[in-house]
Amino acid sequence: MPTQQPPRSFLEPAVLARLAGVPLFARKPMQGGVSGKHRSPHRGSSVEFAEYRKYVPGDDLRRLHWRALARTGRRYVKEFEADTNLRCCLVVDTSGSMRFGPAGGGLSKIEYARRLAGTLGYLAIQQGDAVGLTCVADGIVQDIPPRRNPAHLAHLFDTLEKVVPVGPTHLVDVLHQLAETVRQRALIIVISDLFADPALLRECFEHLRFRHHDLAAFHLLEQQELDFQFRRPTRFVDMEGGTSILAEPTEIASRYQKALAEYLEGLRTAVLETGVDYHRVRIDEPYEQTLMKFLVRRTQQRSGR
Amino acid sequence: MSFLQPWMLAALPIAALPVIIHLINQRRYQTLDWGAMQFLLSANQMSRGFRRLRQWLIMAMRVLAIAGLLFAVSRPLASGWLGLTAGGQADTTIVLLDRSPSMQQRTAGVSKLDAARRQLVDTLQTLGSKRWVLIDSATLKPQEISSPAALLDAPQTTGVSASADVPAMLGVVHDYIKANNPGRTEVWIASDLRENDWQPEDGRWGSLRSAILEFPQEVRFHLLTYASDASAAQPNLAVRVTDARREPSGGGSDLVLSLEVTRDSAPPGRPGRPDAPAKIALPLRLEIDGAPSVMNIELTNVGFELKDHRVPLAAGATRGWGRVSLPADSNPADDQAFFVYDEPVVRRTLVVTDAPDRARAVRLAASISPSPAVSSAAETATPDALGAVAWETLALVVWQAPLPTGDAAQRLRELVDRGGQVIFLPPAAPTGASFAGVRWQAWQEPAEPLTPDNWRSDQDLLVKTESGASLPVGRWKVSRYCTLSGELNTLATLPGGAPLVGRAVTDHGGVYFIATTTEPRDSTLASDGVVLYAALRRVIDAGAQRLGDTRNEPAGQPFAASPEPWRRTAGDDSPAAAEALSTDYCFYQGVYEGGDKLAAVNRTLAEGRTDTVPAARVDRLFEGLAFDRVAGVVGDGAGLLREVWRLFLGAMIVALVTEAALCLPRIAAPVAEKPQTVPIGRRAERPVEAAV
Repeated sequence: MPTQQPPRSFLEPAVLARLAGVPLFARKPMQGGVSGKHRSPHRGSSVEFAEYRKYVPGDDLRRLHWRALARTGRRYVKEFEADTNLRCCLVVDTSGSMRFGPAGGGLSKIEYARRLAGTLGYLAIQQGDAVGLTCVADGIVQDIPPRRNPAHLAHLFDTLEKVVPVGPTHLVDVLHQLAETVRQRALIIVISDLFADPALLRECFEHLRFRHHDLAAFHLLEQQELDFQFRRPTRFVDMEGGTSILAEPTEIASRYQKALAEYLEGLRTAVLETGVDYHRVRIDEPYEQTLMKFLVRRTQQRSGR
Repeated sequence: MSFLQPWMLAALPIAALPVIIHLINQRRYQTLDWGAMQFLLSANQMSRGFRRLRQWLIMAMRVLAIAGLLFAVSRPLASGWLGLTAGGQADTTIVLLDRSPSMQQRTAGVSKLDAARRQLVDTLQTLGSKRWVLIDSATLKPQEISSPAALLDAPQTTGVSASADVPAMLGVVHDYIKANNPGRTEVWIASDLRENDWQPEDGRWGSLRSAILEFPQEVRFHLLTYASDASAAQPNLAVRVTDARREPSGGGSDLVLSLEVTRDSAPPGRPGRPDAPAKIALPLRLEIDGAPSVMNIELTNVGFELKDHRVPLAAGATRGWGRVSLPADSNPADDQAFFVYDEPVVRRTLVVTDAPDRARAVRLAASISPSPAVSSAAETATPDALGAVAWETLALVVWQAPLPTGDAAQRLRELVDRGGQVIFLPPAAPTGASFAGVRWQAWQEPAEPLTPDNWRSDQDLLVKTESGASLPVGRWKVSRYCTLSGELNTLATLPGGAPLVGRAVTDHGGVYFIATTTEPRDSTLASDGVVLYAALRRVIDAGAQRLGDTRNEPAGQPFAASPEPWRRTAGDDSPAAAEALSTDYCFYQGVYEGGDKLAAVNRTLAEGRTDTVPAARVDRLFEGLAFDRVAGVVGDGAGLLREVWRLFLGAMIVALVTEAALCLPRIAAPVAEKPQTVPIGRRAERPVEAAV
């Protein structure tokens, strides 16, 4: 990390140092502009063998497999995987509901998302990948296209620092939009509370999958949202500017839990069927642990291919 | 629904406490910025319908629980009338007990009087009071009792043969309240509403009503009525001796006895009641001086009458007693009649006048005997020559002179107190003197002779004859009359309202004022002598009853003074009558002997009438007063009031249990461990755990 950078509230050097040893891998072949750590859909000159194929005129004779020609008299070309860098698009939900946090203090969802996005951006730039940032509320609030140079990282951090969570969520529309606008295969990391209809989310997940993007999702939830253990009558004010509800929590708790369970089950089905790298995160957990699990799991999946 | 402690109901607004707490709670909400609104909206939508209803049910149950508790501590009563809504414990509770013979009518072996006593005890013990006062229809004396239970064994609560006088009883109530000035007073009247007991036409009702309304304290009246339902009543027979006299016969003497047996009307075909047979044969037991005999009689629908039945008397028997009795039926109080007989006394009349010639017609009419066996005598005296008069032998005094003063007035008052009768005719020159609160004023001479335009033919002096014919009072022409002033009951009036015949208010005897004389220049009273003779005969009959040593007394009339204490010779077999004090003998039918005096006590003639006062009429009698009525049922054993607080307590418990059941949290599946960061991928090694 450059020394002249001002300290960011959402970045912890110790955490960055510990996570720097674990690479960020994509689960799918990426189309990068330069050589990197990630598989490319094209054949290249890396040391990793990919396949044999019949020689066609025009192929580089240096790749002809002479030993196979000597044994069988047939001409085969030996192909190797190409390694490239990846484009990492960080999609951060900055709608009003991301302001929500624990009652007794602690990180709010947006602060947690800043830490996740900032750390992931830093790690990706460190390993030579391009990182972009899209802040989403009732549309695209901020859109920083992916770049590889470290100077770009400061701009990205500034944006993260300044973003204010406000307004309703139109995450589904934005993801559809990103599926269309991000032309090359990319790693799209969505950091959001995902408060949207699971059926609609499933559609945009399928859209991104169809466009060969590697989609990872950090689903941020707070303990109160899961437990819903309020005793007093409460006026719930919609953080996204909708109507407020005066309710007796003890009366509606069971029905709230039922609705939440249905939603989570629907979302689980959607992410399983669309192959999303889905991580349900309780924001009272240490973000370092969350990211470590994320990175390690991707490393394991890469080694197992 | 009525309550023993209705002031507790003032706390009923407390029942709104759950609602108020709910509203306060709603006001004391916390405001929370919330992100996961979609689940809240969904939960809120799900809370429609039954769930919302459940909330209201819980609230209603809480309100009901509190209301039930409040109603329970208010001690509600299950009764069919709303008389106790004023509620609370009375300062004084006065019980008016009708002990008349009609109250001894039995149903299923229980008399109305016994049922009234039992039900009053149950009710009054429930209601409570600081002071209990009993006024019975016989003695008319307010007696404080220690507790309502005393009604069951006090001798003043048993049945008697004397009729009740309900207006007089209420008068005693009025006097008691006036004298003692108690706080809130409850008056309980137990009666069968017989007309002869209630006398609804009596003028005292109006004055009593006004007087009670003037009391500053609250006086509430509760009528416990046992007016018999004719459909449920058992047939009842009653016997009455209408005449018993001794007449010489041959060498000896006979008892000439007249009696009647009546039966209550039994309209055939009335549902719930077997038709009464047209004729009933039954034995009539006759006992004369202790010697019994039985004669069989046949009773028709209208009854049975025995007229001048002669029974030979033992030689030398000049006076004695007898009893006529029927087999026991539903009312034992009217199954016996007693009589005494003696040589008839001379019915003496004294005419006091300044001018004997002016009162000749009166003297003549008074000396006519109604029958050969009865001798009548009339004599004339001036007001100055009354020293030698044997007052105790007089049945009637006709006074046609200035109203008496001094010794003469005192003598007359004593005569009236003994039951004697006095008729005052106007003097030639009225003075300012008065007698019994009435005085003569001045003579009036109308241009044309007047005839009475209004007179009482239902009672007293001008009542119809025994055959039902009216006296020819309308043919009575009055040329001169003397006006009267003072308090008197008018029996006949002239056009313009001037009283022609009136009766002064007295405790005993009769004091009459006739505003004209028998002289031809004053009226046709002498020339059309029927009215004069009939009126004189009636007052002489009434006065003669008080003469002699043997008397047939209506129950309730105090016995004459006797040098020796009165003893019971014959009477009811009931324990109450047998144990009666000598001072109360006059209330129990029977034969009593005091020295050389002999008296037969029977229920009054009016007691034979079974008419009851209609409910609407009773309501009018108590108009303006706090009054309610409840029908007592004889023989059902049920109290008038039942506290039903248990019902409300039960309702409260049910409400609380229901509320608890509605509030029970739904049994949820065991909560899964808190969701950790869970990666889900195409090759997830374990399924995602349930969120909740």
